[in-house]
Amino acid sequence: MNKKVISALLCGAMVLGCAAPVMAADKAGDGQKIALVGKSAGNAFFEIAAKAFKETAEAEGATVDVVYPEAATADAQIKVLDNLISQQPDAICISANDVNALQAKLEEAMDAGIKVSSFDSAPNKDSRQVFVNQAGTQAVGQALMDAVLDISGGEGQFAILSATSQSANQNAWIDAMKSIMEGDEKYSKLELVEVAYGDDEPQKSTDQTAALLQNYPDLKVICAPTTVGIAAAAKYLQDNESACKLTGLGLPSEMQEYTGDDDAHSCPYFYLWDMEGLGKLSAYATMALVKGDITGAVDETFTAGDMGEFTITTADDEGTEIVLGEPLQFTPDNVADYAKLY
Amino acid sequence: MAGKSGRSINNVPESPVKKMIFSWEGILVLLFIAVNIFCAMFSEYYNMSSLLRQMPVYLAEVFMMLPMAYILVLGEIDISVGAIVCLSATMSCIVCNTNAPFIVVVITALGVGTICGAINGFILTKFQELPPMIVTLATQIIFRGISEIVLGSGGSISASNTDGFRAIGGKVGDIPYILFLVVILSVIFAVILGKSTFGRRVYAIGTNRLTAYYSGVHVQKIRFIIYTIMGTVSGLCALFLVSSSYGANTTTGNGFEMDAIAMAVFGGISSTGGKGNIAGGFISAFIIVCLRVGLGQRNVNAQVILLIIGVLLIAAVALPNIIGNAKKALSMKKN
Repeated sequence: MNKKVISALLCGAMVLGCAAPVMAADKAGDGQKIALVGKSAGNAFFEIAAKAFKETAEAEGATVDVVYPEAATADAQIKVLDNLISQQPDAICISANDVNALQAKLEEAMDAGIKVSSFDSAPNKDSRQVFVNQAGTQAVGQALMDAVLDISGGEGQFAILSATSQSANQNAWIDAMKSIMEGDEKYSKLELVEVAYGDDEPQKSTDQTAALLQNYPDLKVICAPTTVGIAAAAKYLQDNESACKLTGLGLPSEMQEYTGDDDAHSCPYFYLWDMEGLGKLSAYATMALVKGDITGAVDETFTAGDMGEFTITTADDEGTEIVLGEPLQFTPDNVADYAKLY
Repeated sequence: MAGKSGRSINNVPESPVKKMIFSWEGILVLLFIAVNIFCAMFSEYYNMSSLLRQMPVYLAEVFMMLPMAYILVLGEIDISVGAIVCLSATMSCIVCNTNAPFIVVVITALGVGTICGAINGFILTKFQELPPMIVTLATQIIFRGISEIVLGSGGSISASNTDGFRAIGGKVGDIPYILFLVVILSVIFAVILGKSTFGRRVYAIGTNRLTAYYSGVHVQKIRFIIYTIMGTVSGLCALFLVSSSYGANTTTGNGFEMDAIAMAVFGGISSTGGKGNIAGGFISAFIIVCLRVGLGQRNVNAQVILLIIGVLLIAAVALPNIIGNAKKALSMKKN
């Protein structure tokens, strides 16, 4: 009996041994040369995605150069792109400092046969083949709305503490939240009393939080879809032992001491992108572009390793994008681990 | 004995060949060759065609070095030029988006630059006691402030009709138009500074303003003209910048003033006035451009490149002094 098992295992090992070289040749990124262009050096948040990108692509046999411009400007990125075009990599994956300014250079790169993908921050639709989006506007709105519903206990007043009144991302999420709230009966007992703007300044965000509490004594939840706003509000609510709770989009490292399920903490849970997942998915998408598995057209599908299958969809700017999925939830259980990362 | 060259090594025998080699410009030419050999060895992608292809973005800054050299020779400084570039680029994009013919866009860019330069010149000549550094710092904030207001919350604008910009970004064979323009303008600026009465007067003002004034030089008129030309050239720079990005944003032209000053000072133009010539600035500009392209092609960290240029700059400023001191020490030993 034992012998049979062993021989079966050996046979299996032999088959695998034969298959291994074939599998190696089938790696998603074998021999590919990919350049990853960041917005600027020294952004820890971005570097998580860059690191995940590099590790994923290199595990698949590609080589990755992560390049940062000398300043966080489009002009500096143009110089980087000029350098890259000289080097003729197989693909460039870029987080753009400006929506339109890179178009001429990225078109030049594509004309030179270089595949162009983007993630984190998209250049316009003519400058890229595909954009990897961290989370769709609807997904963010849905997650935040459900958090408000859950934390408030299903009814009562809530307020939103946003960045500035012109912030495009925040406004899109707030609009999504409002339409979700109107569209479903289960949110009918919630009342959005005010959208306040802290201008992404800690002091102003604190002042706005104080004003909200004063104006609406029955306020149950504040939702702050901005990392600066949520950190300021978390501190204020916790210091004043307010009964009002908080959720939104925040950095785990800044939110760690305010995250908890009990009355001593102001924030039960909050959300942010999964930057690791974003880097990983971008790596697979870029390699698929180079291999020719996808061209960046709508409805194409590809397999992103163990992340599963993804489909290319139409983006808000009418270009194409791949949406990573829902934002990542940070709870008292996992916030400490992620706080080490970002 | 070393003529107008800002830096020279003393006590070199007066053979014309030796004099040329030991002049600052001679050293720069050698350095230029050395940098190119180094880059070619360092980067496998460094060759004539990649250099010519990558050059235009940097060449836009070389324009700025030319009038900046005049201002430095005057013994003054203009740190508002980066902001002028930003404002000119913004305005030319706005005009471009009204579907105006391209010549109007060109006139706008040059016109806005000229006006900004003239404002600098006007303030500096009307209130002569104000230091140029402070006045141009103020106008820098004002010009960039205006562009930020005009650009609004988005902070950027893109030119919808790019045909004209595409045209000026064009090439003859492999050589971009902008390279021809840089060479032509450099020759014009060099001849005016080196050979004309106007240039002589600029040196005179830089050497001793009061003496120049009592000798009948129209000091304020010349200062006004030079600051205005600085603005016009900034407008030209803006035009070519837009031709590479088809747009402008609040960071356009950031730090250009310092790049222009660095190129000029590296080229032996003294920031205390009265010394230096365009040839030195021209060669040093190309040394910096080649170095940045060569190092950049191997993805050398951008901050490291800036650091190398910074070290070169300090070395360039300190070298003549060090050599001078060494010579002195040597001759004292002999005695």
